[in-house]
This record gives sequence, structure tokens and C-alpha cells, in this order.
Amino acid sequence: MNEILKTAKNCRHYAMCKIDFLDSGVCASGLEKHFVSFYPQGRMILYEALAENKISVTEKCVEIADSCDLCGKCDYQCYFLNEMRPTKVMGALKNHVETYIKNGGEIKPAKEDAILTEIRKIVGNDWATNDEGITVTYSHDLSAISEPKMPDYVVMPNTKEEIASLVKLCKKNNIPYTIRGNGQNLLGFAINEGVIIDLNRMKTIEFDEKNWLVKVGPGIAAFDLQKQAQKRGYRINAAEPAALLCANIMCSGIMSTFSTTYGINADNFINAEFVDHNGSFFNLNETSSPNLYSYKNLEHKNSPGICVSADIRLHPVTDDEKGILVPFETLNNALDFIKDCSVRHIGLALGVVGAEYISTFLSPTKKMASDIKNIFIDKLNIPWLVVVIGDKYAIRSIGEMGYPFFDQDLFRSLYLGLPSLKNAQWLEMAKDLSDDEPYSYLKVKSFAELFETALSPSAKLYAQEVDKDLIPFFEKLFSLPEMTDLVWLNMYRIMSTRLGRKKPFLPALLYLPIDKKLINEFCDKFRLIAEKYHIDNDFGFITPIDNGKRCIFEYDFFYDYNDPDEIQRIRQVGMEANMLIDEYSVKTGVVKGHPYVLYQGFCRKENLLYS
Amino acid sequence: MTLNNKPVIALTGATGFLGSHLMASLITKGYTIIVFGRPAKNESLKDRIFRLLKWFGVDNMSDQVTCIETDLSQDNLGISTGEYSRLRSVVDSVIHCASDTSFSESKREKVMAANINNLKGILEFSKNAHVNFFHYISTTYVAGTGVTYCKETLSSVKTFTNVYEESKAAAENIISRFCDKNDIPLSIIRPSIVYGNSQTGRSLKFNALYFPVRSAQSIRDIYLNDLMNNGGLKAAKNGIFIDKEGYLFLPLKIYLPYEGDINIIPVDYFVNTTIKIIENCSINGIYHLANPYRTTMKIVAKYYEQLMKVRGVEIIYGPMPNDLLRNPVEELFDRFIEPYRPYLSDNRVFDRTNTTLITDNINPPEFTYDIFKTCMEYAIKVNWGASIFE
Repeated sequence: MNEILKTAKNCRHYAMCKIDFLDSGVCASGLEKHFVSFYPQGRMILYEALAENKISVTEKCVEIADSCDLCGKCDYQCYFLNEMRPTKVMGALKNHVETYIKNGGEIKPAKEDAILTEIRKIVGNDWATNDEGITVTYSHDLSAISEPKMPDYVVMPNTKEEIASLVKLCKKNNIPYTIRGNGQNLLGFAINEGVIIDLNRMKTIEFDEKNWLVKVGPGIAAFDLQKQAQKRGYRINAAEPAALLCANIMCSGIMSTFSTTYGINADNFINAEFVDHNGSFFNLNETSSPNLYSYKNLEHKNSPGICVSADIRLHPVTDDEKGILVPFETLNNALDFIKDCSVRHIGLALGVVGAEYISTFLSPTKKMASDIKNIFIDKLNIPWLVVVIGDKYAIRSIGEMGYPFFDQDLFRSLYLGLPSLKNAQWLEMAKDLSDDEPYSYLKVKSFAELFETALSPSAKLYAQEVDKDLIPFFEKLFSLPEMTDLVWLNMYRIMSTRLGRKKPFLPALLYLPIDKKLINEFCDKFRLIAEKYHIDNDFGFITPIDNGKRCIFEYDFFYDYNDPDEIQRIRQVGMEANMLIDEYSVKTGVVKGHPYVLYQGFCRKENLLYS
Repeated sequence: MTLNNKPVIALTGATGFLGSHLMASLITKGYTIIVFGRPAKNESLKDRIFRLLKWFGVDNMSDQVTCIETDLSQDNLGISTGEYSRLRSVVDSVIHCASDTSFSESKREKVMAANINNLKGILEFSKNAHVNFFHYISTTYVAGTGVTYCKETLSSVKTFTNVYEESKAAAENIISRFCDKNDIPLSIIRPSIVYGNSQTGRSLKFNALYFPVRSAQSIRDIYLNDLMNNGGLKAAKNGIFIDKEGYLFLPLKIYLPYEGDINIIPVDYFVNTTIKIIENCSINGIYHLANPYRTTMKIVAKYYEQLMKVRGVEIIYGPMPNDLLRNPVEELFDRFIEPYRPYLSDNRVFDRTNTTLITDNINPPEFTYDIFKTCMEYAIKVNWGASIFE
């Protein structure tokens, strides 16, 4: 397989090219046309389909190829996250279509049928299509569970009334319809035959500051809303930056490290409006509405309808918020710490991560992530870290509790000085220095200055690690204060999207008490399951919720989407991991597996956690 | 007894600094050693020992070493009854060298467990094996604080610099009472601070004497890099510069509470003297392996400046003024050397009567610049132990 096709086939489908998370701009044609097909993600899928003769060149293929001006913005974004260069694929797509036309190839016209005519009457001609150049880009994702399915139509409504009409039309004609946010569903729920209803045109945002809420349309991504909220001095609890809020709540509920104080599920919204399966409207505050606040421990449930808007809660922000990283020698010590903080209401956001994750988040390349992971474990003796975001009182409390930590300044030095860490002879000594008390060097007042002197951190140094032609961009990017600001990085969750850089991953997500024995048992057993099937695996994160009574625990299994054998093995791993969660759920009565939460994201957390 | 009439010695702590050097010398002298030890996380005891023998260049004598994976905290040393009985019948004497050398109060429980609780297993074994001698490797610093002349007798002092000293003093008393009660001949060997081989510089561990040097070297390298590659702004801020003769001026005032010595002996002296003691000692003998030649931190600092091409290091005796502003180099160095500070200006004098008598008045060498250079150059060559087996 050539490099270009390999890149195309490895698109992570995270939709990060649809948001301007690097302030470098978003693909202009995508913003204009809205179909995913006009974003780099869609073009990657389209190129793969054409290169492998899965579809013929259609009118839309030509339009999609022509609409790319090879500006290179997608290289910035995709390299930042996955170390991939999609621009080569964009060029290959243009070249493929141009060559096809030059060689007299026939351009396949899309044929309008009666259903499409009806759909277009609802949404307008531009916003519904059955052209394979579009539909193929909605036909698969990187889910290890689902099989590709080619939809018959892709539709982009702009109002809830249009959605209601579409639902009625589909019902009348007995056509399956599937709602798609940004298509990140790990179980393939955004893929189907029939009609795909893509909600990405519905990008309304209405702030109601007096009532601490913001009403969002179903096309609003977490990153975009957070940006608007931040401008007004608020914060929302946001999951993955490209996840659409309504879809996110619908599927699993919003969770992040801020869930420690902002909560999960029904804690995150005040009201939501739906179109039900008959095309009628209801909202959650009506007494006659279905009770979506309840929770049932069932794996297979039907969606309650289509969420067409949600009133998201706004949270206050103080100007003294800071982020710190608290290092630990053992997972158990880290768990004791987060539990203690959570019970005492210390910190806004808390999350335990392992060396694999922190090195992946911080490093600009896979190679460097691997080197840095070893340094964290072997030289710095930091296999575990707790990320804490808090105001000055919270940070001071952690200091008074006696924990040494990397404060914001040390974190910046660490981050931008990562390339120097590889050759730092003095690291061993820092470890020895901490014989009496782990990481006590962090308490030495002048350590920050020496650390900075030793690492010589700078955007220029950090940028030297990336592809040569990208150095100027990355140097400028990492000169931006927010790129090294732990608060910003956590509230936008930019870094965690690097997690899939090595390979796509299937997370095992569960809710359970912060019980060290239980968590260690899960870690050991998840690892054994993965090892049995030769699947890369690692601890994901743990975030305490509800005053430390429970936590969210993610353990990840990595797989090569393009390796059919590995796909079979990851499916086995997923199945056995779920069985394990079920076993513990019955045995303990306090463990809840995340698959059960699907379509119940609107439930009260108390019903989920304690019923 | 083996065929060459040398006793079969059970040795604990053979993977540690002193124990490993002792093991290597004992086998070159024809002894048969049974190592009681533990495997590491990813390496069996046998592999650990073989790696060490290879490093010492005596792996061709590995058939003189038998490795028994034991757990001193367990009854019967954590081995099977059959194995225990077999060992009981072959071991002639025991050298108990295993020890947790941490000074940290936060590790009190661990240190006490290793240095005191674990005695029971090895002492019971010695009793059951009817050994003809139990040799205990202790430290001169069981003398404790507030004593100026430290005799070669059991310590009755109650105050110590750290938990390590305290545990070793307590251990000596426990061992002494046990051996006395069970008629086990005992010798206690008390080295002071041990550094590498005075001839070759070779060493397996680089703490104690090495630590201040290593700390100063690391700090020096950080600022040298700043001066050479990053414009030297940070260095200049702290008055650090390269002088006309190419020396790095590193303002580093080291405060020590009062004038005193650092008592150091090379590991080759420790090994040779210990073997002489083992071969000739009297029952219940206590032996100080300390250096009668004075070495002060002023001398070490001078050696350091000469070797590292550094100037500005100053040793000041007396209390550090409360309002003294410390530069980052000094503040970090203070932190680095804190656990070792009591040993860097020590007024205690160690009685060497028994040792002198048994070793025909052989003294450890005076700590010269050549020895310092040899030892530090070796330490730097092996990156302070990080690449010692490469």
C-alpha cells in the first residue's frame, strides 16, 4: 500500500478538522458546504473509495476534489494530533479525478428518485443527495465493532421542523434513518443504510446569562461552544472538542476531568428538546414527556428521539485558576489523593493519568512520546500523575497537604523543554535526591529556575521535533500562551485527542467506587484480556465524581483498523472486557459499565450510579 | 568445610555494594559462598549474581557460588524444609551484610523491618546450623551523636543522626544477645563511609562521598550548557561565568555546622581488612574500619574544583545565617546534601585498637587528589552507575 493511501485509510474520523482548535483556520469548503465530504476527513474517505474502486467518479466527487485548494491547513491539524499529512491525500484525490476526466472517464450523474425529491422539498436541493461521492463518506468509521454500510441518502436539515418532516417522511416510506453528529460513535451507531440525517448545519447558540445557560442547536461542537462561553467569562463541561453537545449528551452524557465538580449526565443541562419517532416535539420539562432522567441497566435500548436543542449549564470561572500536575509512584497513592481532594471539595477538575498518556499528550511525535514515557518512568520515577485544575485556594491546599507538584511554570518548562529531557544527565540525580520523600525537589524554591535553565524550554526547541516544513507553524503555535496552559488544555481537551495517534482505540469505560483493590483488579484483568489477544493496552484515566463516592475509569485497547485479524481480536477483547464488567457489576452491585449508558445520557447521575 | 579447608560461608547482601565486593574477593581466595538473597523484579538472584561476578571479572569462578532465593522476613528463610536442612548441614559461618541503608525517616518502617525484623531468620538459621562464626557488617556510626571518642564496644547511646544508624545499633545489640545466649561466636565489623577502589576507582555504588560531587557536577553542567548554548542569561543572573582561564565560576557556599572531617575508606581496604578479620578474629570482637587520616570537605571541594575546572566553591563552618539569601545553585545543593551533612563535618574519633591489632597495623590510604580523580573519573565514565554494566 502506498503512503498516500495508507494515510487516507488511517484517518481517525475524529472530526477535528471541522473545528479551529489551532487557530489556523478550517477547510473553507467544509464551512461552506457542511457535508463531511467537503472536509479533509471526508476527502480521505473519498480518496480511499476511489483508489480502491469502491465507487465511480461522480459529479460530487469532481466538486469535492475541485473545492480543495491544497491550502495545507489540514496538515497542521492532523499532524498535531496524529502525525499525519492529509494534504498529500487531498492532492492525490484531485489528481485522481483530473486524470480520470483527462482520460475520457465518464462522470456518473446522481439520479434523483421520488424519495430524494420529497426530501429536497423539505430541506432544499442543496442539502440532500444520493450521490455516491457524498454517501460513501458517511459509510464507515474506525469503529472496531461496526461494518461499513452505504446510506441511500445524506440529508442536512437546518431546523427542528425540517427534522420532524424528515422523520415523518421516513416513517411513511418505511425507510430507516440515522442521526449523525460528527460521526465519532465508537459502536458504529452513526452508520446505516437508508437516510443519514447530518445535523451539522444547525449551529445556533443562544446565551441566557441570567439563568446560567446556553441553548445550543444539535450542530454545535464542544470546542466552539467552549470558546463562546469563555469569551463571556463562563465555562461548560465539555467532552471531546469535536463532539457535538446534543449528540454527546444523547449517547453517553458529557464527561471530563471537570466532571469532578460539574458532574455527569443530567448535571450538565437544564432542558432539552426532542423530535420523537413520530415526528412530534417534546421537551424534558413537560410532565407528559418520556422520563429520560431515569436509568435502566440494559444494554440494548432504543433512542428516545432526536435531540434538537439543549440548554447547557454555564459555570463561573475565577481569574486565579491554575493547573498543576501531582506526581505519584503508585496508582494507589494517586487514588488516595484524588479521593481525598474530591471528598474535601478541593479542585475543579481532577484526573489520574499514566506515563503513557502524559507522554502522548505532551509529545509532538510518536517517537518522542515513546522516549519521554521511558524518561518519566525510569529517570523521573513518575509512572502516575494527577492533573488538578483549581483556584489559588485549592492549589494552596494541595501544597499544605504536603504534595510536591509541577506548577504551571514548571509544566511549561517541562512541556516546551521535552526535547532536552532526552539528554538530561541530571535527571537520575533528581530521583536520588528524592530518596527521603518522592519528588521533594519540586518543593525546592529555586528548582523551577534550575529546571528552566537545564531544559531551555522554548517554542523553537519544541518545534524542532516536527517535520521540517511544519517547524515555522509549530513554533508560532507553541508561542501561544494557551498551548502550554493546563487550564486551557483541559477545558478544551485538546491534548487528549492525541491519544489515538499511535492507533485507534476502544475504551472500556466504567463507573465504580474509588476502591483501590477493585480498580487494580480491573487493570490487571483488562491487561490479561488484551495480552491474550496480543492487543496493545493501557490505563486511560480516572476522574472522581460526586464528592469522591464514585469515579469514571477508562482503560484503552488499541488496534489497527486496517488489519482484519486485529479487528477480530479487538472484538474479542471488547466482548470479554464487557463480560468482566458485567461480572463485577453483579458481584459488587456498585460497578456500572458504560455501554449500558448509551442513549441514556440524559439520566440523573444518581439513578445511574446508585440504583 | 570444603576440600581446600576453607569454611563454607553463607553471605547476605551479596547484591549490594559491600557484599558484592566481599563476595568477589572471597571466591578469589578459594571460599565457597552460599548467597542468601532475593530476585529483582525482572531478574533471578542467580542472574543478578552472575552479572556481578562478570563485572568483577570472576565469572569463571561462579561454581564456587550457590544462589538460594530467600526471604529473611519469613520463617525458615522462606525456603523448603528440605532445602533448609541441607543448608544447615553445609554452612560453616555466616556474614550478614544485607541492610537497608536509607537515612530517611519516612522509610523508618522499611528500614527497621530490613535491619531488625529480618535478623530473626538469619540468626535462627545460624543457631540451627551450629555455625562457627557469625560476622555482622555494621557501621562506625552506631556510635550515635554526642560522642567524641567511639570505642570498639557495643553502643549504649540513644540518640542518632538517622534511622539507619539507630537500626544498626539496635541490631548489634540484638545479635550480640542472641549469639551470647546460643554460644555463637560473633564478630562485628564497622566500616565508616566506603568509596570505590583506591587503585582503579571501580565501584558499584555512587552515594555518600560521591553525592555532593555528583550534585555539584550536575549543577555545573546545567549552567555550562546555558553559557555555551543559550546565551548564558540565567548563569549571569546568578553570577556564574567562565573566567579567563576557562574555569567556571560557580558561587557555591556550603555551610557545615562546625569544623570536622569526613571519614572515608576505600572498598579495597574494607574487603581486605574484613577478610583478615574473618580469618583471624577473636570471639565477640568489634572492629572499626575507619580512616585515621583526616579528610575535610575543604579538601574535597579543592579536589572538585581542580577536577571539574570550577571556582567559587566555599566551605564555611558555622551556622547558616537565618536571613541569608541563597542562590538557586546553593539552595538545590543544600537540598542535595542534607541527608549527608552530619557526615561531612564530623568530630568523632574512632578507636581502631582491635582492627590495628588484627591487621598488623595496615591503615587505609590517605584520600589524595589522585584517588579522588581516579574514583570520580570512573564514576563519570559509568554515568554514576547508570551504565555500569554496559
